Amino acid sequence: MQGDLIIETTNLTKSYGPHMALNKLNLSIPKGATGLLGPNGAGKSTFLKTILGLIQTTEGEGTVLGLDIRTQGDAIRARIGYMPEYDCLNPEMEAIHQVRYSGELLGMNPTIALARAHETLQYVGLGEQRYRNIGSYSTGMKQATKLACALVHDPELIIADEPSNGLDISARNYMIETLTNTVKTGNRSVLMASHLMDDVELVCDNFILLHKGKLAAQGRIEDLKGFDREIEIHVWGGASRLEETMIARGLSVRREGRVMRILHEQEDTTSIILRCAADVGAQIRRMHEYEASLEDLFLSIMEDLGYEVKTSEDLLASPAQARKVDAPGHMGGGSA
Amino acid sequence: MSNPEDAPPVAPQITPPVASSVAPLETSQPVEYTTDAPVTPPVASPVAPLETSQPVEYTTDAPVTGKVRLEAAWGSTEGDEDLSVTTSPAPKSDGHVFKQQYKQWNGELNPRWMRNWAILRHHLLGVFKKGHRPWGMPIRLYLLIVFIASMSDVGMTLLSGLIGESGLHSVWGVSRDNLYGHVLGFFPRNMLYYPVVAALLVGGVISEDRQHGTSALYFSRPITRFDYVAMKFLSVAIIQGLIILVTLALYYFAEIATMGRGWAWIIDTFPMFLATVLSAILLIFTYTSIGLSLSSVSKGKFFPGIALLSIILGTKVLAFIASNLFDREILYLISPYDCLAHVGQAIIGTQPTYDQYSWTWSLASLVAMNALALYVLSTRVSSMEVTRE
Repeated sequence: MQGDLIIETTNLTKSYGPHMALNKLNLSIPKGATGLLGPNGAGKSTFLKTILGLIQTTEGEGTVLGLDIRTQGDAIRARIGYMPEYDCLNPEMEAIHQVRYSGELLGMNPTIALARAHETLQYVGLGEQRYRNIGSYSTGMKQATKLACALVHDPELIIADEPSNGLDISARNYMIETLTNTVKTGNRSVLMASHLMDDVELVCDNFILLHKGKLAAQGRIEDLKGFDREIEIHVWGGASRLEETMIARGLSVRREGRVMRILHEQEDTTSIILRCAADVGAQIRRMHEYEASLEDLFLSIMEDLGYEVKTSEDLLASPAQARKVDAPGHMGGGSA
Repeated sequence: MSNPEDAPPVAPQITPPVASSVAPLETSQPVEYTTDAPVTPPVASPVAPLETSQPVEYTTDAPVTGKVRLEAAWGSTEGDEDLSVTTSPAPKSDGHVFKQQYKQWNGELNPRWMRNWAILRHHLLGVFKKGHRPWGMPIRLYLLIVFIASMSDVGMTLLSGLIGESGLHSVWGVSRDNLYGHVLGFFPRNMLYYPVVAALLVGGVISEDRQHGTSALYFSRPITRFDYVAMKFLSVAIIQGLIILVTLALYYFAEIATMGRGWAWIIDTFPMFLATVLSAILLIFTYTSIGLSLSSVSKGKFFPGIALLSIILGTKVLAFIASNLFDREILYLISPYDCLAHVGQAIIGTQPTYDQYSWTWSLASLVAMNALALYVLSTRVSSMEVTRE
């Protein structure tokens, strides 16, 4: 293991017959929190199974916590806490015993496993509810129990697969807070696969974006967001004139109706915008610095890769239109 | 082409919420929002302020009226008189009961045998106490009933020894046929007891791991598929063994204890006893392997149990009907119970009831059945997922 890297892969390839699930993946994941992103079928699940040492790679190599994924799967799984996306709890068991049992499955002494189960359930906020049957738990409490099962042996790396799936706002916030706390105060690393970009943004410092088994993007979320800072303006009247004028003065403008985003390249970009607005008689109702969210970046990268991606806002604003555009031509979509 | 965004904006018609005397804004002319535009003063509230000159005094002499009592109870006008804002004090930062604090653990994890022991222990102790695998109460009750019922020969042996009744002992005492009957007798043991016990045990052992996704809990830890299956198999087999083998041993020792049998008798009968133990192990293994393979192809607890009973009892009935109608016993080869009984008769040395073919055919059939069941079991368990089931 080099320096602070927890996962490192070189030309990691996994194929199922002709289908390449992972295609020469070269990754270097540092300590801390990392978000694993990608659309369905991008290879996230295969990647997780590979680093857990559960499936044999077709080609290439990799290490997790310095251990070889091809030959030391058992040792890797003993040092990792895995929180699955789907249900993995027995609804007829009490949470305390479920967490204790998951500790025993790692080789913990039953007495010690029970003591740790109390501690971890307290940590995830189920201290007072630990003697209740899991079947009577809410989704948030089940997610917290899954996290407690993953944390029972104090692993160096926690793999959380969609940890905030199906949670309400308060439960989601608590889960995010707990994961963040585990990274910041517990000094543990988290690899978090999620479709909720906001969650990844809140917990993680780094991200990996997979696409068709290949690495589409990797880096620090902060660095990526530092690129392409824009100024967002809301225009009232003369929007097209304003757009034309700004483009004529060398500004890079993206427009969606009355909302425009102008690339913040120079010190005086704001002044130029105001001058243009004054010249064409357009009113600027609102003006602020626009910082791209991870979701924007994800959508942007996916669009670059050829996906016709719709944002949640698009879908909410005009679901029929959104469906029409996405549908193939013979089904009434496409050019319609 | 004209763009709708280029059209002069039309100001929305604003209806003042309180003062109706304010004229609505002209909609025909565009409104210009400039810095010179006059600022309209806030509209005065038409609601008259509450009288605060006569404060209500809550003394013993004060007249008791409905209003005063209401105000005293609920403070309905409190804070309304001066229209001041009431704010709650800021929460104190100290005094929190719960503080989320990550606690590290520096212990060492035990090796493989301890992990396997954990699986075995989890399933076995679940029969007796809470906190382990939750076997249902009906299952536990049935196990107890079968355990007690399986000791009927033990009870009768003790009784015959106590009252010294030789006739009773000749029927119930340890003999080749009675040892065979304890393990392989069809009614009631292989009709009502052992297959039903096996069906109840295997019902959810693997299928519930699929159903609840608990397989992820095993395979995301350093548990191999072999260890997982082996421990599940052992735990089901041991519970059956507690019923069949323990009661068999008790039966044998009851004979020694009550009839005062010496070494000569023990040396004479012990091989017979061991042969019965071997037959019992074969029976437990076969029922468990078929049952677990059925459990591994299912996601519920009822299908494996019902299917196991159907296989054991259904094939037996089918072969019995064919034997009676056509006088052909060969169909018994598809019946696990009959194959076990045939092999058991040969090992223990009782009078064979299947005389149209050799017991080695039954043994071969048993081997084939178990091999098929174990193949299905291993294939299905290998395909169990960690990330998605």
